[in-house]
Amino acid sequence: MVVCVGVSLVTFAILQASGDPVALMMPEAPESDRAVLRQALGLHEPLLVQFGRFFGRAVTGNFGNSFFHRAPAFGLVMERMPTTLILTVLAMGLALLIALPVGIYSAVRRGRAVDQVATGTVFLGQSMPPFWTGIMLILLFAVQWRLLPVSGWESWASVVLPTLTLGTFTAPLLLRIVRSSMLEVINLDYVRTARAKGVSEWLVICRHALKNAALPLVTVTGLQFGLLLGGAIITETVFAIPGVGRLIVTAIRQLDFPVVQAGVFMLAMVVVSLNFVVDLLYVYLDPRIRLR
Amino acid sequence: MRHRLLSLLVAVCVLALAPSAQAQPKDTLTVALVSHAPTLDPHMHFERVGILVNINMFDSLLHRNTKLEYEPSLATSWKPLSDTQWEFKLRKGVKFHNGDPLTAEDVKFSIERVTEPGKEKKKSPQYGNIRAIKDVRIVDAETIHIVTDKPFPLLLERLVFFPIVPRKHMEKVGDDAFGTTAPVGTGPWKFVEWKRDQYIRLEAFDGHWRGKPAFKHLVIRAIPEVATQIAEMKTGGVDLIRNVSADLVPELKSHPQTYVSSSPILRVHYVELDMRSAPFDKKLVRQAANYAIDKQAIISKLMGGLGQQVATVVQPKAFGFDGDLKPYPYDPAKAKTLLAQAGYANGVDISAHSAFIEFRPVFEAITQMLTEVGLRTNARMWDPGPAWNKFFQTEGKASNAAYGSWGNYSVFDADAVLHPLFHTEPGGWIGKHYTRVEGLDKMIDEARSMVDQPRRRRIYSQIQNLIREEAPAIYLFTQYDTLAINKRVEYAARGDEWLWLFDAKPKR
Repeated sequence: MVVCVGVSLVTFAILQASGDPVALMMPEAPESDRAVLRQALGLHEPLLVQFGRFFGRAVTGNFGNSFFHRAPAFGLVMERMPTTLILTVLAMGLALLIALPVGIYSAVRRGRAVDQVATGTVFLGQSMPPFWTGIMLILLFAVQWRLLPVSGWESWASVVLPTLTLGTFTAPLLLRIVRSSMLEVINLDYVRTARAKGVSEWLVICRHALKNAALPLVTVTGLQFGLLLGGAIITETVFAIPGVGRLIVTAIRQLDFPVVQAGVFMLAMVVVSLNFVVDLLYVYLDPRIRLR
Repeated sequence: MRHRLLSLLVAVCVLALAPSAQAQPKDTLTVALVSHAPTLDPHMHFERVGILVNINMFDSLLHRNTKLEYEPSLATSWKPLSDTQWEFKLRKGVKFHNGDPLTAEDVKFSIERVTEPGKEKKKSPQYGNIRAIKDVRIVDAETIHIVTDKPFPLLLERLVFFPIVPRKHMEKVGDDAFGTTAPVGTGPWKFVEWKRDQYIRLEAFDGHWRGKPAFKHLVIRAIPEVATQIAEMKTGGVDLIRNVSADLVPELKSHPQTYVSSSPILRVHYVELDMRSAPFDKKLVRQAANYAIDKQAIISKLMGGLGQQVATVVQPKAFGFDGDLKPYPYDPAKAKTLLAQAGYANGVDISAHSAFIEFRPVFEAITQMLTEVGLRTNARMWDPGPAWNKFFQTEGKASNAAYGSWGNYSVFDADAVLHPLFHTEPGGWIGKHYTRVEGLDKMIDEARSMVDQPRRRRIYSQIQNLIREEAPAIYLFTQYDTLAINKRVEYAARGDEWLWLFDAKPKR
C-alpha cells in the first residue's frame, strides 16, 4: 500500500513537471480553445485536488480516460498486461533454465573449462543491452536464416526471439548468483556429511546443497522481475509487441497522464505481489523463518 | 533416445526448409507505420499515421492526384457563389461499405460533427481546420452549399482530407464503436479487424465507385522501431515503409527484394532565430547567419542529395511561392563582414537547441558553420519528448536559435507555414516566442482572409521579400520523403506524403 501511494505520488509529480499535455495536443490552437480542453480533462484544478481525486479513483481501478485514446486508461493497460506478463514469465523461465544447470555445473567444476566459459559469457551477457541483442537476433534468425518472423505477436514463432532477447538479458546475473551461492554451501559440513552417508552426488547437489543455496536465488529472481518488466519495454518496442511497456513509453511522449499513471501503478502492483510471493517462498525454503 | 534425436533433427530441418513464415499471399499488401492513431474515426484525431489509414477507407469531397491537383471525388464539381459561399455537386450512386447510399445529409452531418453548431465543447481536434464553416445547406439531393463566416481561401484544401461518414450508421452504432469496431466509409477498402498496436486489416470494397483496388487485402502494421521495419522489408514481411533516412537508402536500393521511391514533400527545414535578444535582435547578424551556412554541401553530403534550397520557408509547391526570390548564397566572408558591421568583429557566443533527432548530423554541421564565421555556437540536442516541449513551450528564451522543420500538415498554401512559424499571436507555434518583424502579422492576417487568389499571391510575394530581408530564420531546404517498397509492388511516393494505395499495383 505504502509502495503504491509512493509510486503514484512520484509518477504524478514527475508527470506534472514534464509539461502541458494540452499544448502538445493542440499545438496551433489559440489559448481559449486550449482552456476548454483543459477544463474538460480536469487539468485546470490545483495539483493537490487533482492528486486526491486521482488516488481516490485509482484504488477502485478507475484511472480516468486516456487523453489520447479517449478510453479508460485502466482498460488500455489491462488489455496489454497479459502480453507483458507472458513475455516476462517466459523470459524468466528461460533464464532459470539456463542459469540453474550451468550455474550448478560451473560451481561443482569450479575453475574448469565450463566454469571459465560460463564466467566469460556472464560478463558478455551482462554487457549486451536488450535492444542490441534483439536486433542482432532479428538479423540472424529472421533476416539471415529466415527461421522466425521478424516482429509481431501473432504466432508462437513470434514469441521465440523476444523471449530469447529478454531471457539472455537476465540469465547471466542469475547464473552468477546460482554459482556463488552454490560455492558457498558446497563445502559446508552438512554437505560433506551427506556425501559421507553415501548419498549420490546428484542427490547431494539437488536436495541438500541447492535448497540452501536457493534463498539468494529466490530473492534475486523476485527483484529481477522488476528489471525484466523494464527490459520488456525495450523488447516490446523492438519486436512491435503490444505490451504495457510500449504503451507507457508512447504515453509518456504524448503526456497521456492517466495511461502513464495506470501503467506504472499496475506494474508496481505486479512487483509488489511478486515480492510477497518471494517472502512466502522463504518460509518454505528456510523453516527458521516463521509467519506470525 | 536415438529416435528422439532423429525426430528432433527432422523437425529442425523442416523448420529450416519451410518457406519463411512471412511470405505473403499475392493479393495482400502490408504497410508498416510507426504507430496507430487512437481511433479509426477520421474526425476524432489529426495524426499523420491515422490519416494515411483513413484515406484508404473514406472518401472526401475532393481528392488530390499524384500531380497534387484537385480531382473530383464525392463531389463531381464545385464553384464559389460568393466570397463566403461555395456550391458542391455530389456524385450519384455512391455506396457506403454497409450498402447505404451516400446522401447530402451525410455530408452535412459529417461537417457538423466537427463544427458542432450550438455546442461549446468541441471534441474533434480538426475543429480548427474548418472552424470557418458556418453553415451547410442542403439545396437538393445532389447539391450542397457551404457557407463560411468570412472569406476562407483554404476551404478546398481542407476538404481534400475531410472524410464523409454515414449518418444513419453512426447514429445506430455510436461514436465509440465507429472508431474501433465498426468504421464505415465509401473508400476503396472496408474495415475487417483492428488489433491496437498490432495491425489493422482491411478488405477491398466491391461496390467502390472507382472500381476495385488491385490488392484485395490491406494490412497496416504498427512497428515503432526503424531497424525492425527494415528487417521486415528485407524478409518480405512488409511491402512498404515510410521515412527511410538518407543513410539507409543505399542499403535498401541494392537489396534484391526492395526499391526506394522519393518525392519532394512539404517539409521545410529552418533555424528559427530569437529576435528579442542579442545578438539576433540585429538584422545584420541574422543575415550573417544565413550567409554562413553551406546548404548545398549539407544537401549533397548529409541528405543524400535529396533536398531543394529555398529562399524562405515557403515551399515551391505551395500556393503563393515566389520563384523570383533567390536563396542566400554560401558566403562566409560576407557573413564575417556583416558581423563586424553589427559590432561583433570578434564574434559572439550563442546557443542553439534542437530536438530534431533524425537530423542530428545536419544540426551539428550548421552549428559548426556558424562557429566558423564567428557565431560561436553552444549546441544542445534534446530528446524530442516532454522535456523539450516544456522547454520550448514555456520559455523559448533559453536558446538563441532552434533548428527544426515544419510539415505544413500537407496544406499546399503559404499560410500553412507563415502563420505557425512567424505570426506572433498567442497560441501560435514558434513565432510567438521568437519573431518580431514589424508589420508581418498584419500581412499574414490579410492574406488569410480573402479569396481573391491573384491578390493573395501578391501579398505572399511581399511577405517573402520582407522575411528574406529581415531573416527571422536561417532558411535551409525542403525535404524529400523516401519510401522503401517491395519489388512485387508498383507504387510511387507522393508530394503530400499520403499513401493512396488505390494506386498500388502488383508488378508483373
